[in-house]
Amino acid sequence: MAATAEVHHNPQLVADEWGGGALPFRVGHKKLGMWLFIVSDALTFSAMLIAYSYARLSSEQWATPFSFYPSIIFSTTMTLCLLASSFTMVMAVAASARRDRKRARRWIGATMFGGLLFLGLHLYEWMHLINDYGLKPFELPAAWLARWPNASPLFGASFFAITGLHMFHVLTGVLYLGAVAMTIKRRTHEDVEISGLYWHFVDLVWMFVFPLIYLMSVDFHPEQMPH
Amino acid sequence: MSTRFGGLKRLTQKQDVILNAICLLFAVVFLVLAAANASWAGDILTIDSLFVTSVFALLALVFLANPLLWAYERGYIQSFLAAEDELTARKDAEPVHFEGSTKLFGAVLLGLLVLTVVEVALAYVDVGLKLMLTILIGLSVIKAGLIMAYFMHLKFERQSLVMALIPALVVCICLLFVFFPDGFRLRNVRPESPATPPAAHGTQPAH
Repeated sequence: MAATAEVHHNPQLVADEWGGGALPFRVGHKKLGMWLFIVSDALTFSAMLIAYSYARLSSEQWATPFSFYPSIIFSTTMTLCLLASSFTMVMAVAASARRDRKRARRWIGATMFGGLLFLGLHLYEWMHLINDYGLKPFELPAAWLARWPNASPLFGASFFAITGLHMFHVLTGVLYLGAVAMTIKRRTHEDVEISGLYWHFVDLVWMFVFPLIYLMSVDFHPEQMPH
Repeated sequence: MSTRFGGLKRLTQKQDVILNAICLLFAVVFLVLAAANASWAGDILTIDSLFVTSVFALLALVFLANPLLWAYERGYIQSFLAAEDELTARKDAEPVHFEGSTKLFGAVLLGLLVLTVVEVALAYVDVGLKLMLTILIGLSVIKAGLIMAYFMHLKFERQSLVMALIPALVVCICLLFVFFPDGFRLRNVRPESPATPPAAHGTQPAH
């Protein structure tokens, strides 16, 4: 390593990186700030998912009401939406690196569309659970209690809290991307990259929320669900 | 080093030796404890034993941090932590050219879609709770890794940025090991519920 000879017996070199006026992680301060925010937000979601797992594993019984239609189909579509929107976001960042602001704006628009589709489907899912089943945060619907009498009443709270917080992040992300897209002429490439980082983080969280909340609560016998 | 600090040089070296020796001693003690727990515990794959082992390993890592930094400063460790342009880390804005082709990102997207389909299919196969959770979380971690490495561009960034994210992961793992043993304990001490499950419960696993 060419660096070794200079680093050897010169600890001042390492200290200089952290002395100010340099870029220790080789990214600017705004990007580093976004990464640190992502780390803290990831821990927030981890805490909520772990709390949900704790409540579930320590309870006697847990409702598993998600039927293939509409819940699993919709949530799988939502997953595909977010993955596709992550891809379009990468394309937007690539276009912005080429200084092609018009294309970057179009790709960001496609990303926003994916996000809005996600939100629409998710809200439909919420309305289905709240209105058709009557799911409340701390009370299971009577039909579910008939089928799973000892099921924990925390199903609603954990579901709405975690998916609600994630939906809020998606909404904020869409608004953030909208702001970047509208002012793209004044934005640097770094700004587009940073908004991309946030959007990929939102997708990342969904990668964990989807299996733990939806796929672990699949209804194997939908014919048994009382109406 | 300049002559102004020349007299202190030997003292600094002596300090370094003593500090490194103490840190290494503690690190070795904790590593031995972690290994001893692994052999005393019997079944290492219980959550309790994993928790203790990981806590000791983490403490050993904490004490290893200082000697490792000292060695890195003196160039003893091949600095895989730095990109080749270690010296140009100062004052250079990140290059605007964006590594990675559309084909690469398309391939990553395809991989993510395939993994998603596998996960959904797995949800309808009865493989037992532990195996199902392991596979689901495992696949999710792989997906997360793919997104972070390629979409969030970490594969092409400087390693030190990746290292800055590792503590969060360690905290998550420690949280798991802290809460889950208590979860199992709570489940086992719960009093029996008065309502009996209906006969039509079928093969639905009660988790």
